[in-house]
Amino acid sequence: MIEFEDVSFVHQSGVKALDEVSLTIGSGEIVALVGENGAGKTTLVKHVTGLLKPSSGRVLVDGEDTKSTSTAQLSRRVGVAFQNPDHQLFSESVEEEMSFALRNFGFTQELIANRVSWGLELFELEEYRKSSPLVLSGGEKKRLTLACILAWDPDVVILDEPTVGQDSIQKEKLAGTIGMLRSTGKTVVVVSHDIEFLWPVQPRVVVMKGGRVVGDGPAAAIMQDERLLASARVVQPEMVEFYQGLKRRPAGPFIDPLEARRWVEGSEL
Amino acid sequence: MMWLSGGFIFRRGNSVYHRLDPRVKLLNSVLMFASTLMVRSVYELLGVIVFLVAVAAVATVLRRVARTMLLTGTFSVFIFLINFLFTRNLESSVLYAARFVAIVVSTSLFFITTSPDELEQVMKTFRLPRDVVFAFVTAVRFIPVMMLDTIQIMDAQKSRGLELDKGNVFRRVRNMVPVLIPLVVNSVVRSGELAEAMESRAYGVVPRPTSLVQYRASAADKAVTVAAILLFALAAYSFYYVLPVQFP
Amino acid sequence: MSDILEIRGLSFRYPEAPRMAVSGFDLAIPEGEIVVLAGPSGCGKSTLLRAVNGLIPHMYGGEYSGDVLVAGASVKGSDMRELAQKVGFLFQNPENQIFMFSVERDVAFGLENIGTPREEMRERVDDALRLLGIGDLALRAPHELSDGQKQRVALAGVLAMRPRLVILDEPTSLLDPKTAGELVDLVAKLRRELGTTFVIVEHRLDLLVRVADRLVVMSEGRKVMEGAPKDVLLGEGSEKYGVATPAVTRLQKMLARDGLATADGLMRPADLAALSEKRAR
Repeated sequence: MIEFEDVSFVHQSGVKALDEVSLTIGSGEIVALVGENGAGKTTLVKHVTGLLKPSSGRVLVDGEDTKSTSTAQLSRRVGVAFQNPDHQLFSESVEEEMSFALRNFGFTQELIANRVSWGLELFELEEYRKSSPLVLSGGEKKRLTLACILAWDPDVVILDEPTVGQDSIQKEKLAGTIGMLRSTGKTVVVVSHDIEFLWPVQPRVVVMKGGRVVGDGPAAAIMQDERLLASARVVQPEMVEFYQGLKRRPAGPFIDPLEARRWVEGSEL
Repeated sequence: MMWLSGGFIFRRGNSVYHRLDPRVKLLNSVLMFASTLMVRSVYELLGVIVFLVAVAAVATVLRRVARTMLLTGTFSVFIFLINFLFTRNLESSVLYAARFVAIVVSTSLFFITTSPDELEQVMKTFRLPRDVVFAFVTAVRFIPVMMLDTIQIMDAQKSRGLELDKGNVFRRVRNMVPVLIPLVVNSVVRSGELAEAMESRAYGVVPRPTSLVQYRASAADKAVTVAAILLFALAAYSFYYVLPVQFP
Repeated sequence: MSDILEIRGLSFRYPEAPRMAVSGFDLAIPEGEIVVLAGPSGCGKSTLLRAVNGLIPHMYGGEYSGDVLVAGASVKGSDMRELAQKVGFLFQNPENQIFMFSVERDVAFGLENIGTPREEMRERVDDALRLLGIGDLALRAPHELSDGQKQRVALAGVLAMRPRLVILDEPTSLLDPKTAGELVDLVAKLRRELGTTFVIVEHRLDLLVRVADRLVVMSEGRKVMEGAPKDVLLGEGSEKYGVATPAVTRLQKMLARDGLATADGLMRPADLAALSEKRAR
């Protein structure tokens, strides 16, 4: 469980990046964190593993204050994949890159080998096992950073813009992986401008604006709240707009065109 | 290190002093620097310091300069003690200690009121090659960007269990490898992109590029120049009067 | 109207690369169009753009055949001084194309480089700032700007050269969707007011299809599809090349196949909903 209690964070420059944020994320939840660039999403994420400490308020991970724990200890439980893969890839091979964190966390050689193979297979990177991570395409690098995090099996997984550079098939697979993580009881937080891909897992959506949480609720409700989205400068998915244009509608908005087509054609009968 | 950077980093201001021709600001700082070295008595040095403080007040950077003076002042206590220990001369020891403060202040006044773009103008006046000037400008421009990169890389690696301050010296140096490699790779990629963007915007196609800004000597420019020269002349007079230069 | 850009049988291979980055590429763009270039990563889009503004072959050597003409003049035979004034290039990352410490100095950078007289430069810089609505940022430093503002500053620097053709290489990939939409609106406005031609490489087609006149799809260095966005997206084959068709357009396409919608033009979500209602009744 992750708890933010009245957390404010003021940068050295005096800019207030978080403004009295209170937020509780229970274990097993899937949360999408949305908001324009500069709304404070990444700053919030950095507080979970103690990379930043609150200027006021408290952040608790499983009841433990991040001020009294090290980032290394917190990271064992909370895996964060940051936005830009080029800020972390450094090893000679993809396989080495994946082993890095596992060695830091003291995994046995045998376990490392197992976990690396599992991750490479899950993210379709097996063929690059011995290649330098630097030769991968942008999308592949991104998948590698996700594999690196999942490899040490953290209880909480935080993904910052995981769909950048991914085509629609990879996005579907990523949604599948997130669903799988939920079924094993993991907590997943996805920071993204693109929450349509998360639709199959129906996340809880938290909307940020100017360092504050301005909206929090199930995806279907938040994505239909046009006033909220406009004020936070979040773009409503076109399929939700389509749904809202219909007079007679099914219970929840659809995001998948196939589903919409079935409904439109079904209602004709 | 922090106090040093704090005393030398430019922050935008809108005072009369900020708006001076950067060459005048440079001249003023150079002359004050030289005066500081030339004066022979504590009282004269006090005059220079008062002038510097007055300039700082006009430039509305008094608080920053005071901070720099305080911090250099603690350091110059050592200068005083060492001097006094060896020379047993109170006045010269005070002079040396205060001189150090004045030197730092005169230099820092130039840097905290002169933007990198203005520094470029100054360098151009000295007819430094365009490539050298531009390399300097880009370096200053990208220092904050690279610092941000470094923080983000460190955050990413710490999130993968890297403990930077763990172990002995050798271990710590080795711990920096996962930070340094992405930093270098990013910088190389960045310079490639910069080169493309420069080329696309016609960098270096004519031997004498023009410039958007032009400085015309304002009344303030003239006043500061005259004041600085006068003060310098006094210092020089005192220097030669007290101790005439002797050629062998 | 004459063609501002003409690519004739262009092929290019980087030194020691195993295969051609671009091969046998033909394209003609009339002045004033907005053209979107789509295709999977590594399909040769970036190489093609660099051949249009002269970075290829003037900066990057390699095996070059065919020709690229901008406003009738061969890129190969022009120097960077001429090209920089004819073809503007906005790169993906605005951070890496802002050199100077103040916005106005940076916007003037290209003009200084070609030796523009000061009065004219001042006028052009002010025009560019006004056009992009960033006049109030003139004295800001790069680190005091948001991502969207940086991209505008970079574009102002490009437009100050008054190019007839502007290339944008994934200009919105680092922006949030709202800011990206504003940039696309700005491009449409500039085309309307200045008649500038834009060639844009972009993954996010949902924003661009509404303003684009032409969509060109590339795959493995070749042009595989070309036409009005509605024809390419609603026609057959675009899925094959991994073109990221917006969800509503995918729905329209399916409904059109079933005879429930038209394929005459791309429909907005609300219009498609109204149509679905009518047909369903």
